[in-house]
Amino acid sequence: MKKILPSALVCLALVFAPVTAFAEPLTGEQILERVDRNLEPGDLEMYRKIINIEPDGKQKEYVLRFLKKDKDKVVTLFVSPASEAGRATLRLGDNMWLYIPNVGKPIRITSMQSVVGGVFNNADIMRLDYSVEYAVAGSTEAEGQYVLDLKARSGAVAYDRLKMWVDGERLVPVRVECFAATGMLIKTLHFSDIKDIGGGMASPAVTETDSPLYQGYKSVMVSANLKLRQFSDEVFTLNYLPRVKDLR
Amino acid sequence: MPVWVLVAVLMLGCVAAGGAETYDFAIPEAEPKNYEIGARLEARYLFHRYDTASAKYRLDRLQGDPGADAHEWHGVVEPMMSYRRGILKAALITHHEYVDDGVGTGTRDDVYEGYVSLTPSPRFTLDLGKRSVLWGKGYAWNPAGFVNRPRDPDDATQNLEGRVLAGVDLIRSFEGGRLANLGLTALALPVIDDWSNPELGADGDVNYALKLYLLWHDTDIDFIWFDGPGQPLSLGFDFSKNLAENIEIHGELAWRRDVLRTVVDPHGRIRFERADPVDYLLGLRYLNALDTTFILEYYHRGSGYDRGELEDLFAFQDAAVDRWQASGDTAEVERAQQVTRSYFSERNPGRDYGYLKVSRKEPFDLLDVTPWIALMASLQDGSFNVQPGLTWTPLTDLELNFRVAVPVGPADTEFGEKPDACRPEVWVRYYF
Repeated sequence: MKKILPSALVCLALVFAPVTAFAEPLTGEQILERVDRNLEPGDLEMYRKIINIEPDGKQKEYVLRFLKKDKDKVVTLFVSPASEAGRATLRLGDNMWLYIPNVGKPIRITSMQSVVGGVFNNADIMRLDYSVEYAVAGSTEAEGQYVLDLKARSGAVAYDRLKMWVDGERLVPVRVECFAATGMLIKTLHFSDIKDIGGGMASPAVTETDSPLYQGYKSVMVSANLKLRQFSDEVFTLNYLPRVKDLR
Repeated sequence: MPVWVLVAVLMLGCVAAGGAETYDFAIPEAEPKNYEIGARLEARYLFHRYDTASAKYRLDRLQGDPGADAHEWHGVVEPMMSYRRGILKAALITHHEYVDDGVGTGTRDDVYEGYVSLTPSPRFTLDLGKRSVLWGKGYAWNPAGFVNRPRDPDDATQNLEGRVLAGVDLIRSFEGGRLANLGLTALALPVIDDWSNPELGADGDVNYALKLYLLWHDTDIDFIWFDGPGQPLSLGFDFSKNLAENIEIHGELAWRRDVLRTVVDPHGRIRFERADPVDYLLGLRYLNALDTTFILEYYHRGSGYDRGELEDLFAFQDAAVDRWQASGDTAEVERAQQVTRSYFSERNPGRDYGYLKVSRKEPFDLLDVTPWIALMASLQDGSFNVQPGLTWTPLTDLELNFRVAVPVGPADTEFGEKPDACRPEVWVRYYF
């Protein structure tokens, strides 16, 4: 009996161990990591359509090809309209550049500028993983959602603080409020149309944003044609930016 | 009138294109293509209200009375096409322009870009043909851009004619260290007859340019070298860095060896000087909470004319024109035209300049409108050019622009002696 009891206890522990681990609540950092993985699962390329809706209802659309490598390298290439085609942006960590074919040289841009106008700024369009730019300052759970308080890791980040509502089941963001250092609400991002993108992951295909600073304006970003793909590091460099449209 | 026809066609085409817009979540553009075909159409009108007391105006009267004002029209068509297959890409941009400047009409046809690129890997590219080259970090000036074509800082998206070159581009990326990227661009720029880089030397000359780029400590740094049989040895350095989420700073430094400089005294005597001038530029771009962008730059041009030299030049020219008008003898004024040609061919011949541009997107709920104002000042003599402008994009791919250049300054100053007292300009651009 003395020999049987420890074995039984070990078996019991093994049987219940996964349940115990599953039941253990996720930390804020773990939730944020899962959110990042669901939004952009590794190295990839996809297409994005940005639709700026103006107060009079008029819409302007931009289509861009979006390439991402690691957690901090992003390239976007404008495909349409014709007046913007060939423009490309590069982000390496906190560094951002814009290349305009007619201008002929890449220029440094900042995260608060917007290359497409509307409510999305450069930091929204060339967003890195949230966990790269923000640390979890607090997390709560309510009505099937996690609510994360995120604080910028450095002053170079576009927003000083984020409040993120995360779907508790699928671990994708539902809503993100973006605040300035003064506490002023700069904009709200709304995520919707969650689609399975393979590998057991789900990602919102539509991001909408509005802002009290742009009353009556709304911008929508639609993501499609997501493919996991490996790129050379050199694709994400300033010298390559004028040639990125030739990448197939 | 051809320009009016072009404007009408542009407007009709744009209205038709704009009316078809619908809210649509499909992305058909995701289908890759091996070729691209497009074009840019432009119609431009300028009105010159002359300053009849200005130096250049008085000098130009030798060719006939230009009157108190003039109308100038430009119609431009720029077709663009490219084709890529595997590691090979071929591209062509041509420029076709019709000009009516009130005195006469003319056309211009140029190949702006026409090249073949070979990119076996993102680390290595070989270019052969005519390509646009623009180096340096400044907005209004690029003292370290030794092979750049001059460009209009307040209309920066104009296509520029390229340089005929053979070039190699090498790139390396590094993980984890302070040095994140390294790029080396090497160009050979031959001078052949009048079609290949004739501004860079005599027929048969080959000029060379190198640019070493580093992304180091989150700062863009370029080291530039340029030399050729008919060109001074030139060394340049530039940098650019984001200080915060809304502030960028940049700068350029250039040194050239043994540059020939022509100075004219008040009596018209020419003095040739050889010097090793140093040029530099410092600038910043700042975006405030009201979505207003400020660009501020200071530019020192080591080989530029100082205030005293400019006053001497204007004094000589004024005296020559006065004597011509009094005696009817054109010899001296013809000589003055010849002597001052190099001065008037330069966009900014002075020594110290400041540039400020303020632009704001859609102020006061004015949709699709970006007003701006630019100020370029000669700091040596206090004269300046103030230029308010407006960009309106009512429809996708259609851009309407308006600006008015007003040079301000007393006599014998750089902007005070500009031939225009006021120059309104409007242009419409359509892309497809």
